[in-house]
This record gives sequence, structure tokens and C-alpha cells, in this order.
Amino acid sequence: MKSHSGWGSLKNPVKFKIPTSENLVPIRLDIEIDGQRFRDAFTWNPNDPDSEVVVFAKRTVKDLKLPPAFVTQIAQSIQSQLTEFRSYEGQDMHTGERVVPIKLDLRVNHTVIKDHFFWDLNNFESDPEEFARTFCKDMGIEDPEVGPAIAIAIREQLYEIAIQSVASARESRANKKGRRGTEHLSASKIGMPALDLVKLFGIKSSVVRKKRDWDVYEPIVDLLSNEEVDALEAREERIAR
Amino acid sequence: MAESGEINPPAPKPNPETTSPPPAPPQTEPQTPLLPPPPPPPPQPGSSQAKRPQQPESSPNPTTPSATESKDKDVTPTTAISSRLAEPEFVYIPSYSRWFSWNSIHECEVRFLPEFFDGRSPSKNPKTYKYCRNTIIRRFRDNPTKKITFTEVRKTIVGDVGSIRKVFDFLETWGLINYTANTSKSLIKWEEKESKSASASASHNADANGTSTDFTVPKKRVCSSCKTICRIACFASDKYDLTLCARCYVSGDNRVGVNNSDFRRVEISEEAKTDWTDKETLLLLEALLHYGDDWKKVAAHVGGRSTKECVARFVKLPFGEQFMGPLESTEVDSEPKSETMHPQSKRMRLTPLADASNPIMAQAAFLSALAGKEVAELAAHAAVTALSEIGAGITKGNLGSLLGGAEGQESDGTSNRYGKDIERAIVEARPQLEKEALDLERAVSDVAIETKEVEERIAHFEECDLQMEKEWQQLMQLKNLIFIDQLTLLLNKASAPKTGETIGEEVIDVKAE
Repeated sequence: MKSHSGWGSLKNPVKFKIPTSENLVPIRLDIEIDGQRFRDAFTWNPNDPDSEVVVFAKRTVKDLKLPPAFVTQIAQSIQSQLTEFRSYEGQDMHTGERVVPIKLDLRVNHTVIKDHFFWDLNNFESDPEEFARTFCKDMGIEDPEVGPAIAIAIREQLYEIAIQSVASARESRANKKGRRGTEHLSASKIGMPALDLVKLFGIKSSVVRKKRDWDVYEPIVDLLSNEEVDALEAREERIAR
Repeated sequence: MAESGEINPPAPKPNPETTSPPPAPPQTEPQTPLLPPPPPPPPQPGSSQAKRPQQPESSPNPTTPSATESKDKDVTPTTAISSRLAEPEFVYIPSYSRWFSWNSIHECEVRFLPEFFDGRSPSKNPKTYKYCRNTIIRRFRDNPTKKITFTEVRKTIVGDVGSIRKVFDFLETWGLINYTANTSKSLIKWEEKESKSASASASHNADANGTSTDFTVPKKRVCSSCKTICRIACFASDKYDLTLCARCYVSGDNRVGVNNSDFRRVEISEEAKTDWTDKETLLLLEALLHYGDDWKKVAAHVGGRSTKECVARFVKLPFGEQFMGPLESTEVDSEPKSETMHPQSKRMRLTPLADASNPIMAQAAFLSALAGKEVAELAAHAAVTALSEIGAGITKGNLGSLLGGAEGQESDGTSNRYGKDIERAIVEARPQLEKEALDLERAVSDVAIETKEVEERIAHFEECDLQMEKEWQQLMQLKNLIFIDQLTLLLNKASAPKTGETIGEEVIDVKAE
């Protein structure tokens, strides 16, 4: 089951899972009741029993002193996202040689983070949590809420990509029955702008980036002042509506 | 962060046995609310001071090196005695959590949160667990007066919320966080329970009044809040006309307006209900001889008596007292002792007991409430000594012989005689032991002196050796010098006839040197 030979060919498909060491689901909540808005994002372990969902919802509502109407809404939202995840679970995922770019562009309280890096999808031992922890430590980020936000952002993108690869696997399976010739091409062209590793690691080029690319890939961490935060929030809400 | 220096628990600390024989696996025990633990009530503000309450001082340490991996939570009846210096101010944690240390992971953590340590999932490893745990505790200690909520914590920790929640719950039950914090709100479930018990106790005052004043001797006390029949001991307050069973008393310490010290402890004698006939007693003794410690079989043999009744009856028998100390575990100790000691009502100081913020402590408090303060203390002492000496085999042998001896006649005479024999033997043996010890000491000191002398001699030897080496080296150097001189002489002699006078001069010069 080694996936060495080149890029984009349809390998033995692997069962769907998020390509990280721990198969966690990123969950995003955005609930509005009676003018009160609750937004949250966290990672959930799909192996936890479903009773956990309700317990978690109750606890969150109690801790944040929200009106109890939120409990059912939160539980429902989590549950539906979980079921969606599970619906992908039985299906095959196509794993090619894929190193994909991941972009971070998020704002957590007063910290704005912009980053751009590559992630190896075939590395099933990867750990976005570890990455997030190291990132915060290295960049000296003091706000503790940033770490989880980063991890969740990465996970969401990986999730997206995984979903796409399931779709592509399905598609190429359908194609198999039809034309056979375009198989190899289509698999690589579908969806992701994967990195052409052969070109990178080829003879004439080197692994080290060119200087002009450095700025693109550098992590940027900005601290905003209160007014800027308010301004941004107002703009976001306007966009949301 | 300066810690109080206790990294790991000292190994040979004994711990009280988990539970008494009848309710051995806590899952089947109807009384103890062990698993899953109910949400703890907020501790009373007064209870968490560092004053020493009159609580039994049994060892709080819930771990043993002899890893009997029982998944039960151990019973530890102490309260917030220790204080740990985290920052300039004190942070209180209960002494049964004394094992905690920042840098290491303790055995009970491994036991309670096995998923981090069994290697099944690669991201759930001890390192992440430690990161999670330390972050939670650090965050709590940033503001120790405020109770930290799970949501705050999980927003700030990288990881999946399920495992964070498990670590959080673990820390909370062990009192490592949220122990001394006061909250205006408590958990939803507990609030309902509180209001229920408060309303129950208020509204059922009349009932309690009725039941407690109607009957005198065969008193069937019904607890005002949980409406169960009180057994063994209960707490009555004349001031408010309340009767509470021990459990409610201990756990429901948030009764509105009722002070804990207004309650007085009332023993309930179970004997009054059913008397043991001679036949039953005989069956009991037979069964004991056959089955020893297996109370289930004993109860089956006796027929018609529950295991607890058998135990109680056995211990109440005239010779039963002899087996109490070294044999049984804490609970059996406290139960029979409570009935053989004076069944007076005792005034309980409840402030330590009020700190039942924890099912472990609730159970322990419940037990000590049943048994009485001094009794529980003695029981704990006995249990500690018993567990530190592993003489179970010896005591069991005693049991067999004594039982056989006393079975025929239920009188104190025979048993006392046996007891006296044993005492005499012990008395004789003691001076011999001491003498032997003295001899040993003397021999050891002699040996020590000899070794010292030998050491000195060796040191002297080494010095001489060193000297010798130095002189030898000097000799060698001299030898070399002479050799060089000889060489030069020879050379000069060889070239002397060729060069004539100049060399001769040189030779003379060399010779002069």
C-alpha cells in the first residue's frame, strides 16, 4: 500500500478519515436566539458517545449563563455536524501524493494571524493540535484562545480536502466504468492545487524557497487595539447580514 | 512556582481498605454514591480553613505500591488540612490529593484516565495529558477565588473537548481545582436536589415530628429529606424538629437556615428488631469455621440473615472483640465498634463533615457519622496498624483456633485463658529479642572499627608508594643525564684526533661543565 509512484494516480483507496493522528471533527456553532448570538468552534472526538453531546451542551450553557433555550439548539447543531461526518466515514478516500497549502487567516479577540504553509495529506500521523501549540509558543502568543482556534482552522481545511477527495474517489470510480484513459489525469486535476513535488525536488531546483517567496509564507501575528477590534467586528456583522 | 516539595507519595503508606465485605464492589452498593459521582455541592466557606478538624487521621493516600488495581475510588476521610504554596497566597487542596506534582504523573491519574496512557491513540499520550492538566490547574490558580468553568478551560486548551472534559472532571473531583472557590451558582442538578431537600425538610417537619414522638423504644426513624428508614445512626435536631439519616446529614449541608451543630447523633440499635436464637448463632459459628471470611457463604449457611447482620452478630458475640483490631477493614471496624461501644448520642462537630464536596469524602463522612468520632478515629488507627503489618496469615490462624476453642462454650473463660497464654509468650520473647539486638549492634561496631584501621593503613601505604615512585623517577632522570654525558664524551673523543686542539679545548670545556 505504498503510494510512491508519482502524483495523482488512483491508489488503493483508504477509508475516510481526517488525515491526522487523531480522528477529530471540527465543529462550528453559530446560533442566534432572541437576538443573542453564540459563536463557537471546537474539536470533537467522534468516538465519544452521543450522550456526551447533550451533557456538553448543558454544561456550556450553564458555564456561559446562556438562556436554556440554547441547549437544544447547540445539541442539535453538534449532532448534525457529527452525523454529516459519520456519513462520510464508510466511504473511500483517495490518497495521492499530496502536499496541500493551508492558509490561516483568523482573528481571535485581539490577535490576528495570517499564515500559509504546506501540509502533507498522506501523513496520517500529523497533529494539528501539536502544530497549534508550537505555533503559539514560538510566536509568543499570550492569548490562550488562539491555540485552539488555529487547530480548528487547520482541521476544517483538512476536513474540506478530505471530503473533496472522497468525492473525487467516487467520481473516478464512476469514470472507471466509462472511460479509462483520462483516469490518471482527472484524479490529479480535481480540486486541490497540490504541490508538484517532482518539480520541487527535481534536479534543477532546490527545496529552499526563493527569497521573493519568503514573505508569502511567513507567519504574521498582529495585535489589534480595541477600536480596531470593534471596527472589524462591525464590518463582519455587516457582511454576515 | 514554588511547590511544597512533596513530589511523590512515600511508598509504604498504608491505606484503608476500600469498603467493608458486604458492599465490596461499589457498583452494587446501594448506599455509596460512587460511580458516577453526583455533582458536588459547593463547600461551606468556613470549612476550608486550615484549622485541624477533629477528624480521624487515617492516611489519605489513595495509592499503594502493591497495585491492587481496583477501579474503585478509595475512601479517604480527611478534609482540607494541607495547604500548598503556589504563589504568595495559599491554595488549598484536600490532603487526599497530596500526590499531585507538576512534573510527574501519578498512579491514580493513570488509573482514572487510562485512555491517555494506553497508547491506543497517538495524540493521547502522557505529554498531552500533562499539558492539559497543568494548563487547567494553572488557569484556576490564576484566580483561585473564582470557580473555573469547563467552558473557559476548553476554549483555551488545544485538544478535543471530550478529553479536556475528562481531565477537568478528574481534577475537580479530586479537589485540585475549584476546591476553595465560592460560587453564587452551583450546578443545575444539584440545585434541584438542594431545593428538594430543603423543601422536603421544611414541609415534612410535621411528619418527622409525628414519627419521632409517637414511638420510643422500637423507633423507626424516617429521614425527613430522603424518606428512607434510618439505620444504625441518624441525626436529630430538636430545634427544627428534623430527623435526617446520616447520608442526608452529611451531603445536604446546604439546608437553609439549619445549623449543622444543632443536630445530635442518635444511635439506632438493630438488635431490637430481631433476636438471634441459639440455633442461629450456632449455625453462624459453624459457618465461620468452614468459610472463614466469606460472609456471603456464611449468610447462606445461616439462612435468613443478611451478610451484614451476620457480621454484626458475630462481632457482638462475647469473644468477637478479639478479632476486631488486626483482622477487619475500616468499615467493619467502625460498624461493630459503634455497637459495642456505648450507644449514646454524641454531639458531632460537623464542620469537617460539611466538606463533603466529593463522593469519596461524602462516603467517608457518612461512615464516620455512623460510627461516631472517637470510634472512627480508633478504627482508622487500627486499620492503619493492621495494614502496615502484613500478618494476615497469623491472625487467620488465630481465628481458627480460637473459634474452635470457644465454640463449645460461649463463655469468656476459655477465650481469656488463651488470650493470657499468648500474652505470656509475648512477654517472654521480648527481652530475648532485645538481647539479640544488642549483640548485633556490638558486633557491627567491632567490624566498623576494624575496617577503619585497615583503611588508615592502606592510606599510609599509598603515601609511601607515592614517595617511592617520585624517587625512582628522579633516579631515572639522573641516569639519563649521565648517559647523555657519556655519549657526548665518546663523540668528542671520536672526532678529537681529526680536529686536534680545538676539540681538545671543547673536550676540556665539556669536562669542565
